[in-house]
Amino acid sequence: MKRISVDIGGTFTDCFFVWDDTYIESKSLTTHHNLALGFNSALDNACTRANLTREEVLGQVDSVRYATTLGTNALIEGKGPRVGALVTHGFEDTIHISRSKGYGVGLNEVKQGDMADAQRPDPIVPRHLVRSVKERIDSVGEVLVPVQREDVREQVRELVDNGAQAIIVALTNSTENGAHEQQILEIILEDYPAHELGSIPVLLSSQVSGRKGEYVRAMSTVVDGFLHETMFHALNQLSSNLRGSGYEKPMLVIHNSGGMAQSNSTDALQTIHSGPIAGVSGAQHLSESTGLGDVVSMDMGGTSFDIGLVPEGGVQHYDFQPAIGRWLVSVPMIHLNTLGAGGGSIASYDRIHRAVQIGPESAGSDPGPACYDRGGLNPTVTDADLLLGYLDPHNYANGFIKLNPKRSRFAIEEALCDELDLDPIEAAKVIKRTVDESMAIGIEMELRSRGGVVEDYTMLAYGGNGPLHACGIAESAGISRILFPPFASVFSALGAGNMKPLHIHERSAYVVLYEPIGRKLFDEYERFNDYVAELERRGREDLIRQGYDPALAKHRLEMDMRYGNQLVTTAVAFDLNRINSVGDVLQVIKKFSDIYGERYGEGTQAPEAGVRVQTIRVASYIDGEVVQFDDLTSGSDRATPEAVGQRLVHFVGHDEPIETPIYDARALHADYVVHGPAVITTESTTYLVEQGWRIEPTPQGAVWLLKESVTAAQ
Amino acid sequence: MTMTDTTEHSHVHPTPETHLTPEEQQWVDAFMNDTTLFIGPDPLIMREHQIAERTPLEQRILELEADPLRADRIRRRLAGALDEAFEMCESMGAAPGAKWADLSVAVYTASGDVAYMSNRGVIAFSAVLHHPIRHIMKYWKDEPTVGIRPGDGFFHNDARFGMVHNTDQSMLVPVMREGEIIAWVGATIHEGENGACEPGGMPSGSETPFDDGLRASPIKIVEEGKLRRDLLTFLQHSTRDPKLMLADIKVKMGAVKRVMDIVDRAIEEYGVEAFVGAIRMTVEDVENEVRRRIGEMPDGTVTVNQFVDSTLKENILIKFAAKITVQGERLIVDLTGTGPEIINRAINSPLSSTKAFFAQAILSYWWPDLPRSTGALSPIEIISEVGTWADCSYDAPTGQNLQASFRAFTALQTAYAKLQFSVEEKYANVISPWFNQINNFLWGGTTQHGEQVGNLCADLNGMGGGAKAFHDGEDAVAPLFCAMADTGEQEVMEEEVPFLQLVSKRLVRDNQGFGKYRGGMGYEMIVAARNTDSWGFMTVTSGAKFSSVGGLFGGYGCPTYPLAMVKGINIFDIVKNDPSAFDLSMERVMNEQPYEGGSYTTYHMGLQFDIAQEGELYMISQGSGGGYGDVLERDPELVMEDLQLDRISAQVAHDIYRVAWNPDTYVVDAEATSKLRASERQERLRRGKPYAEFVAEFVTEEPPAELPYYGSWGQDNDQEVLATVWDHQGPKRVRGPISEIPLINVPNRHVMKIARLEARIAELEAKHGETVKRLV
Repeated sequence: MKRISVDIGGTFTDCFFVWDDTYIESKSLTTHHNLALGFNSALDNACTRANLTREEVLGQVDSVRYATTLGTNALIEGKGPRVGALVTHGFEDTIHISRSKGYGVGLNEVKQGDMADAQRPDPIVPRHLVRSVKERIDSVGEVLVPVQREDVREQVRELVDNGAQAIIVALTNSTENGAHEQQILEIILEDYPAHELGSIPVLLSSQVSGRKGEYVRAMSTVVDGFLHETMFHALNQLSSNLRGSGYEKPMLVIHNSGGMAQSNSTDALQTIHSGPIAGVSGAQHLSESTGLGDVVSMDMGGTSFDIGLVPEGGVQHYDFQPAIGRWLVSVPMIHLNTLGAGGGSIASYDRIHRAVQIGPESAGSDPGPACYDRGGLNPTVTDADLLLGYLDPHNYANGFIKLNPKRSRFAIEEALCDELDLDPIEAAKVIKRTVDESMAIGIEMELRSRGGVVEDYTMLAYGGNGPLHACGIAESAGISRILFPPFASVFSALGAGNMKPLHIHERSAYVVLYEPIGRKLFDEYERFNDYVAELERRGREDLIRQGYDPALAKHRLEMDMRYGNQLVTTAVAFDLNRINSVGDVLQVIKKFSDIYGERYGEGTQAPEAGVRVQTIRVASYIDGEVVQFDDLTSGSDRATPEAVGQRLVHFVGHDEPIETPIYDARALHADYVVHGPAVITTESTTYLVEQGWRIEPTPQGAVWLLKESVTAAQ
Repeated sequence: MTMTDTTEHSHVHPTPETHLTPEEQQWVDAFMNDTTLFIGPDPLIMREHQIAERTPLEQRILELEADPLRADRIRRRLAGALDEAFEMCESMGAAPGAKWADLSVAVYTASGDVAYMSNRGVIAFSAVLHHPIRHIMKYWKDEPTVGIRPGDGFFHNDARFGMVHNTDQSMLVPVMREGEIIAWVGATIHEGENGACEPGGMPSGSETPFDDGLRASPIKIVEEGKLRRDLLTFLQHSTRDPKLMLADIKVKMGAVKRVMDIVDRAIEEYGVEAFVGAIRMTVEDVENEVRRRIGEMPDGTVTVNQFVDSTLKENILIKFAAKITVQGERLIVDLTGTGPEIINRAINSPLSSTKAFFAQAILSYWWPDLPRSTGALSPIEIISEVGTWADCSYDAPTGQNLQASFRAFTALQTAYAKLQFSVEEKYANVISPWFNQINNFLWGGTTQHGEQVGNLCADLNGMGGGAKAFHDGEDAVAPLFCAMADTGEQEVMEEEVPFLQLVSKRLVRDNQGFGKYRGGMGYEMIVAARNTDSWGFMTVTSGAKFSSVGGLFGGYGCPTYPLAMVKGINIFDIVKNDPSAFDLSMERVMNEQPYEGGSYTTYHMGLQFDIAQEGELYMISQGSGGGYGDVLERDPELVMEDLQLDRISAQVAHDIYRVAWNPDTYVVDAEATSKLRASERQERLRRGKPYAEFVAEFVTEEPPAELPYYGSWGQDNDQEVLATVWDHQGPKRVRGPISEIPLINVPNRHVMKIARLEARIAELEAKHGETVKRLV
């Protein structure tokens, strides 16, 4: 297998390069003015190490895959065209009102709860660029008020006159009958033909999402419309760059659904958060190919902490109405929970509870923690880590940042010591313990709320601050196995290298599997199977359009189900793809009951209230070659490496500091084991091995951090 | 009062005239206890909102050791569990209320004080659920026929025993160690349907407490982890939606179980004493912090008088009087002067429910950073007398007690803006009053799928936010009682119920509290039933004639809007035949009356369940938040922005905001605007007069005789209230202390109408010498 996968992040462009049995990781700085430059630089680094030229590589690889934060950045920076919206008469302020909770979407709970400070973000579609058309379709697709051509023309003209550079059409119940949206598209194309100057892109909501919900579907279309141009140009720029270097296949774009597609089959919305999600996907692949079992991924950076779930068996958890920035949208996106805490999180005194609060404010990278000596006065998690002796002040970030422990001590003293009646070291321990426990609680909540048993999980840690806090977090959560994966510094790019061509299509459906008043089981098999067949057809066509052999296409049926009149549904994946008998119906009901009981507790199921299907979803995909991981179990004959020094280190739970051996990167060799307490400092990070834990590296570069009582093998 | 007064009969038994020996007294006490008719709400429990005395265990633990850092670790662990359980309820709940976060999950001390509550959800629950727990602890814990064992769970919904209103239902489960109750875990959800006289659980038409629907005192519905089918069946049998009852009791049990798992783990990790100490410490810490913050405010009194314009059946004016006084670390809320209860109308509220919304204001608008705990309201002294509509007696219906509760909220929200204006450390923005009515359609009947349902639209969550000191209020934002509450998606609703919102979300022109910064606007809703054999709508709010919220520092209050209906048409037939007729707004439809043959009516916002024929139009609007500051100080560019978006009319721009502009370009004419505003200021000076002179001219001895008015009149004598009462001679006004006001029983308006018609017929019979044949 020859393959290139790239994750272009805000700071670094990561590249994972596969050339048969050779796996190479490389990095370069992201070049925001022209992403292709950073892309080329990372690729060239890898090629050099493989003794190949860029042209040689691009001429032979099976694919170039690309995960990007481009869309996310464009959304944050507000860079995009003026989008106008056409909606159904009577729904003119639906987008603006944003389900009344739009003020708080994307904010933390403290800000959400401060009602007196509630304020919506500036809208992507300003209210003066919303017009309504006199039409109405009901919930089953019946036309109540037909579209009137002149009315549409007039509204479009007003949008154009007011400066709309793109138009989205989001009509009520268009998922059930998209004819009105199509008619409007045709009318617009008549007046503003695509081949003429002045044409404007038009997006239909029924083509963006098949799921009911007029607000989230409209917002999805708005975000798509807003990002369309930016994404189109950026992807074209990258494609041209690749073609210029001899790459003739289509470039593949990573989707937040956990799959990928060519750029011509990619909506801008599908690329949001695709980098972090590629990391989760990498965790899934690692778990499946090495028998890791249940995995929770943890990416702890400077300002945030991402938690992803990969339960054994590969069933993915999706968010169907995720928040993208400050907007609620409708797109099936791999679930990723982001907690606002990292090394830069500020510690402050909590007067009410007489304790320490971590975050939500962060010192970020500028001014950064107090110890950066760049003017930051607030104590952060990194300051506590430094004061406790975990970090080497002269060798942090490969020596690029010199740390000043006096600043850390002063900041902690000023902010916490008097109030807590503790000395700075004890206060620093409180910070360390608080942040570790908070992260652990976040992980536990994630796992429990999705039916996981925390103790069964392996924590897969990557990101700069992961190795420093993983022990404390795992200890608090009750997890005893931590794995720092191979190629951890480019793990998201590696994840992108393993993704499948995948398309998800879904539709809302009124399917009552069990109706409790009449005590009737579902028997409209043909209707149901027609729905599924249509979704499979659309998925298959997506794959054919990209040149894949339709015979290789596989389809996975998923349904969002509920008891009685619950609104929020539970997603269930099935082995069957059709319902043809009462046995199939009962099998579906049972599978739902199993998943529901696992997630919410056995006995909470309420089939007596009825069993409904709300949404039918089909994931169509093609299996392909993937990166091979080495066996992650480790041998028992290991030696303890030579320490490069030792220093006094303070540990939570120990009153006195402990003389602790310090190791460098050479200790991370598959022949060695390092027992805690120990500190291992590498170019990019610091591993803290607490007492009762040990480190066992593997040949491929993965590192196990294990409780002394367990082995790497399950 | 038909209940047995438990305080007197159970414990403080009256001593007979003849002197009894201690032994005889014991016999009498035992007899009285054995013959208690039933154990109703205990006034000693129901009137208390202070945190309980420490239990002996709590006292012992906190005397020995108080480790706030360890308590904080326990707190964070439980907080995570509560948020997790909250999400479970939101995800699994069948009630619309659960779907929009109208619920809470909490950990309570053994005495019932809320120690920790989910971050999201309805804060008011933090000030009301200690009542049922105290009732259980006092009456059921040691009662041989009930008792409490590990795994038991109690259900209740009746506000008379402590609840925001009867449409909420709780599941309360004790945490027990070695036979002793050391804490409680509870989940509460606004369920909607509860078997009341009207569907949806909040009947505006209730005339007796028995019309309010289910009246569950705390009952043990779960025994050692098993749900009792007999009691469950009774509850299902008592409401219109047995599916909802079943599903959500299971949801609450599941949520409590999830929290209980973490409680067990925390106790295992830290020990019983650390756990009990931590939860008690939090309650006390919050109480201490509230005292400290009260102490930061300047001493003084703020008076917030509010007037409600409806019994939800008749037009009246009833006063909610509140004097909020700060004296050092004391804060006293005096409700004296509030109007009397109306014994056959739904607007009355038990004091405990009224207080719950004081807590709502404090914890969401005064000090949103405070933990949600009973400790937050505990230091506040509340003066109130039983017998007002905000502190009603046991026999009063309370189906729409939110009418009083919401005024309690507004009273404190308004007062805080003034009390903390000059305080150095502010914990929240200074804002004008939030809109305080649940303008919304409740509905019921047979769906297009043949199901019997009754509930309400989530549109009540789109309340207009109050204007801020530096920014306009947010349009149709979350309701006053629940941050991040969701108005949901209309497409999803239409799949479930047989009516369409033909106008779903459109802000209504001029529907704003004007000011330097305007209040957040409300949207209109126009609905019509379709594809149903039987359907009806109702509305349950006031404020159609007298604004329900005022402005702040010169800002205007919320405008008033009626309910409007067009009966006798089928809009679906009309627009199918003539699509151009699909041009709906309340303003246009009512002013132009475009649909031939329709009957166009307006009405106050208390519509009892009204049968809707297919295609008949029902129209209402959400209200606005109050405006902030003088309209003449509003930036003319902001006025133009609203004008261009059709959010205000040209008339408002000119007559209220005094702005001049070019109508073709909307460019402000700055010079002309300055002149207009200067002129208006001169006009104000001309109209102005000394306060004493104004009072002498304006203030009357009492309100107009024909106005059914309830409550104190003027500022000087809150001890005496006025009320219109009815006897066999008709209405008459009485005045006196609340305890002396006769029972107010408003006659049935339909009976009165028939009587008027009968009289007219008799008059015409006499005039024309003809006898009309009457139906019998």
